Amino acid sequence: MKIKLTVNGLSYERECAEHRTLLRFIREDLGLTGTKEGCGMGECGACTVILNGRAVNSCMVLAVEADGAVIHTIEGEANGPALSDIQQAFENNHAVQCGFCTPGMVMSVKELLAQNPKPDATQIKEAVEGNFCRCTGYTQIVEAVMDLTGRPEEKGELKHV
Amino acid sequence: MLYEFRYLAPRTAGELVRILDERKNDGKILAGGTDLIPNIRNGLMKPRFVIDVKKTPEASTLAYSDADGLVIGTAITINDILRSATAQDKYPVLCVCAHELASHQIRNRATVTGNVVNASPCSDMAPALLCLDAKALLRSKDGQRSMPFKEFFTDVKKTVLKPGEYLERIEVPAESRGARGSYLKLKRIAGHDLGIVGVLMVRRGDDIRFAVSSAAPTPVLVDTVTSKDGPEEAVRKVLGAVSPISDVRGTKEYREHMIGVYVRRLLSEVK
Ligand SMILES: Cc1cc2nc3c(=O)[nH]c(=O)nc-3n(C[C@H](O)[C@H](O)[C@H](O)COP(=O)(O)OP(=O)(O)OC[C@H]3O[C@@H](n4cnc5c(N)ncnc54)[C@H](O)[C@@H]3O)c2cc1C
Ligand code: FES
Ligand code: FES
Repeated sequence: MKIKLTVNGLSYERECAEHRTLLRFIREDLGLTGTKEGCGMGECGACTVILNGRAVNSCMVLAVEADGAVIHTIEGEANGPALSDIQQAFENNHAVQCGFCTPGMVMSVKELLAQNPKPDATQIKEAVEGNFCRCTGYTQIVEAVMDLTGRPEEKGELKHV
Repeated sequence: MLYEFRYLAPRTAGELVRILDERKNDGKILAGGTDLIPNIRNGLMKPRFVIDVKKTPEASTLAYSDADGLVIGTAITINDILRSATAQDKYPVLCVCAHELASHQIRNRATVTGNVVNASPCSDMAPALLCLDAKALLRSKDGQRSMPFKEFFTDVKKTVLKPGEYLERIEVPAESRGARGSYLKLKRIAGHDLGIVGVLMVRRGDDIRFAVSSAAPTPVLVDTVTSKDGPEEAVRKVLGAVSPISDVRGTKEYREHMIGVYVRRLLSEVK
């Protein structure tokens, strides 16, 4: 089936097998390999992309379902060598170690901040609840977001958990 | 990897029931895909045709009227419920259950209709729909029928739906407006997880209801507790209605114990 979609502001028209997941389509047909496959079934969030404004697990979406959609992936973040604000905050706070979870993590945070410009720690944790990180721990990730959006005054230092 | 199948996306309810009738034996409905796609990937389901129910005009209905109550179409996601001012305001019980379901990304795709048709004993939306007297509207080529959720679930992952039939919409009656409640879901971790056991309590005036997930072959409604019952009597009635088993997530004894803890806690919490 022929599908047409916009990814990071560029429009693509491609012939696509009907059983292909959006994840495979993005990685293998469009060559955008920043988005990762961890579990392939909704558990880990490595495959998170933004589909029409919402963070979704692209491993559980068929590419043909996304015909006509607007999609954002990690490749849309940096502008040449200049990191996006979210990426820069992750770097400053050492919220990246191996980096495998990071593309998905950044997409979840991007949707959160579009809806809620100044989330508290609970809201940040809830937004990335579906993104597993097996390296840095989550504290630095929560700190990175708060660093970017401004920490609610009374919260002070985050407890390391 | 998924094997090769065909994807069909009918644009009208008429076309949908025609396709469902033709594909009774080799078709599967796709809503949010958060159950279906992993099942296909794991080889548990092997449809030759995957039929998308999100593309008809009625699919995106989420509307309240005094006559029909809250109507929920086949494309309405768990997060659509959480973001709906009408649901928050008139049916807060739907939102307390929706909030406990899976992760944020899954809630962005998972539909309410898919959740109940999947008919897992640990469904998080079923307790709310049971306590709020919601109805399922089923449609096939031969017509429509309506069924209270109390009669909808028949066994583990089984419902009254017949081959060729689909859940066209859910209606939550206007009479259930304003009911308050709280849902306690026991999980292995603080993050997203299927429940070990879940107990919802809903109060509407003097009327008290409980619904329990992950404690029987189907989600269970308990409507025998009255406001005159003490906590121990309430626990006895709720435990009498369920039949938990021991499995990887917890033992029968642990589940029974936690149901008791939750019923007592809810009775003092939900005023
Ligand atoms: C990691 C993970 C965590 C999860 N956690 C939870 C949780 O905490 N609580 C919970 O309750 N669930 C959980 N689930 C299960 C799942 O996300 C939900 O059951 C979801 O609501 C299913 O909806 P869907 O729209 O994605 O259904 P789909 O996968 O599209 O469909 C589910 C089933 O119902 C059928 N179907 C769908 N819509 C209709 C219809 N309108 N008429 C007839 N048949 C239909 C499909 O053919 C399929 O068999 C989890 C799943 C994953 C992958
Ligand atoms: S790869 Fe999609 S959730 Fe793990
Ligand atoms: S940085 Fe390695 S998994 Fe998160």
